[in-house]
Amino acid sequence: MNPVARALWNPIVAKEYRTRMRTWRSPFAITVYVVLLGGLGWAVFAAMTSNLAGFGNQGLGGSSYGQYLFMFLIIFQVALLGFITPALTSGAISGERERQTIDLLFVTPLAPFSIIWGKLLASMSFVVLLLILSVPLFSLVFLFGGIEIDQVVYAFAVTGATALSLGFVGIAFSSLFRRTLPATVAAYGAAFVLLLGTYVYGYLFPVDIDPNANVVTAPPAITLVSPVIPLITIATNQPVSGYGTRYTQTQLSKLSSGGSYCAPTVNGGVMCSSTGPVYPSSGSQSPGTTLHTGLFNGWQYWQASIVMQLMICAVALAFSALILPPVRRFHLRRRRAPAPTPAPAPAPS
Amino acid sequence: MIAVEGLTKIYGNRTALDHVSFEVPEREIFGFVGPNGAGKTTTLRILAALLEPTEGKAYIGGADVMKEREKVHTRIGYMPDFFGVYDQLTVAEYLDFYAACYRQPKPRRQKIVDDLLALVGMADRKNQLVDTLSRGLKQRVCLARALVHDPAVLLLDEPASGLDPRARVEMREILKELQGMGKTIIISSHILPELTELCTMIGIIDHGRMRATGSVRDVIARLATGRRLRITVLDAKDAAIEILTPLASIRHVEAVNGTIEAEYDGDEGTAADILHALTGAGFRVSSFAPVDGGLEDAFLKATSEEVG
Repeated sequence: MNPVARALWNPIVAKEYRTRMRTWRSPFAITVYVVLLGGLGWAVFAAMTSNLAGFGNQGLGGSSYGQYLFMFLIIFQVALLGFITPALTSGAISGERERQTIDLLFVTPLAPFSIIWGKLLASMSFVVLLLILSVPLFSLVFLFGGIEIDQVVYAFAVTGATALSLGFVGIAFSSLFRRTLPATVAAYGAAFVLLLGTYVYGYLFPVDIDPNANVVTAPPAITLVSPVIPLITIATNQPVSGYGTRYTQTQLSKLSSGGSYCAPTVNGGVMCSSTGPVYPSSGSQSPGTTLHTGLFNGWQYWQASIVMQLMICAVALAFSALILPPVRRFHLRRRRAPAPTPAPAPAPS
Repeated sequence: MIAVEGLTKIYGNRTALDHVSFEVPEREIFGFVGPNGAGKTTTLRILAALLEPTEGKAYIGGADVMKEREKVHTRIGYMPDFFGVYDQLTVAEYLDFYAACYRQPKPRRQKIVDDLLALVGMADRKNQLVDTLSRGLKQRVCLARALVHDPAVLLLDEPASGLDPRARVEMREILKELQGMGKTIIISSHILPELTELCTMIGIIDHGRMRATGSVRDVIARLATGRRLRITVLDAKDAAIEILTPLASIRHVEAVNGTIEAEYDGDEGTAADILHALTGAGFRVSSFAPVDGGLEDAFLKATSEEVG
């Protein structure tokens, strides 16, 4: 077997599949996942139909219907994976330590990287299984239209990358802590920060809108770590109005004095109004979901998000591989042994 | 085959190993004896490349345990003193998993597993879940696990600890078989009689320092204070003691539980002379035997010395 194949398929993967799928926990988790996702889909569907029945069709056409359903489902799916993934990986290494099986792995020729990789592959396969199981639910969206297959693919790519980064971070904490409990707490803390913290960052520390720019100002790059905004842009085909950006005091006073405000449109033009920038609904996907300023200028929201997630994965993987080996290759400080103590008095023969 | 040179390990302020050195030639069984906390496990973990020494070197078959870890791992079979097993795996799957970790080709793994289970006498438990086994059986499976890649060296850390007498005897039988297969074995244990019978070499460690090392006979000869005899005379025990005490070869005589225990300097000829002195004086001797506790004495003597 060549080294790449060996790295991708090591014995730990097969062993993890066996032990994981033989317990009742996995079918239970799968059932809960599908029921929750299906339940939410049904609730959103029911709410929208009751709105239609009560108030008539208020411009919420079938296509918007599909977009809303898709948006709710995909964000709820990310939230569910935010709960499931840390649980899958945070005990992967620390559990081996607690069970006193890690030394038995360390004495095999398996490299520490292979051990981490095997654990990750097994855990992430379970996440992929959950994503595949959710596909039939997402296919319901196509009944209403408004969502193209490429949007579903991008959304699943963002969701998968998010789960991957949560998994990698979980493994990193599992390698760092000797016990599973602190590893799990840290992994959930990290998941909270990555999913919600970076999203909230956009509200707390928005970017000032440049009045001279002729394009839409992008939110801070760090906010793209959270999949929330990229997923909304994929579902709605539009940037999220007002998120992560703000007007300066001068612009606000200009607006309040009734002057007209000219802002760039998503299509690259400039539109003037008395109420602030207006984002026209875009027919094609790419202009509405493209970042025009900042670190990821010219990228799509989802592309930027995936790249950020993969960067987190790389850092977490490198950290895990560095911290896991029982005998580390790099030392900050090397302790010197004292001089030998005098030999004991020879025993009488 | 195994060489340890000036191995030192310091944890914080505590010196777990203090310039320990010894060598184990090929096909020898080296008994590593010492009280709890003496440094046996630390030494074995360093030899298994699981722990970095603060100073010193260790080699397995010429490979430096710190620099050539992969070579070392393919040469050793390590059985730790405490270990766990995975849930939801059968005995055969458990061994197959480790055989795969040791990169044994898939077509061979089935035969390896069958052979090893036969060796440790567990062929009939192949399909039992490994976490449901008793401690003794788990020890056997762990020993089989250490053999999946047919290593030349076995590092066994307290393989008989926590086992009942029967399981202990069975473990000893398995180790004898491995000895016959030509393995070089380091076995740490605090059960001395086992080691006396099994080992060809011995090392006594205490407070992180090697007190004595060499062949079992040499170590006993070096450390034992003298040979011992247990003598039973049918009558006039006190008179017999009076006869024995003045003899030049006798160091100490005492009455123990209806018998006489005599410590002497000399060889088997001296023992024959002592017997002759008793029978010549008209005592009826019903039993006259050397006390088999030389290693235990040597161990107690070596470990009772003050450190430093």
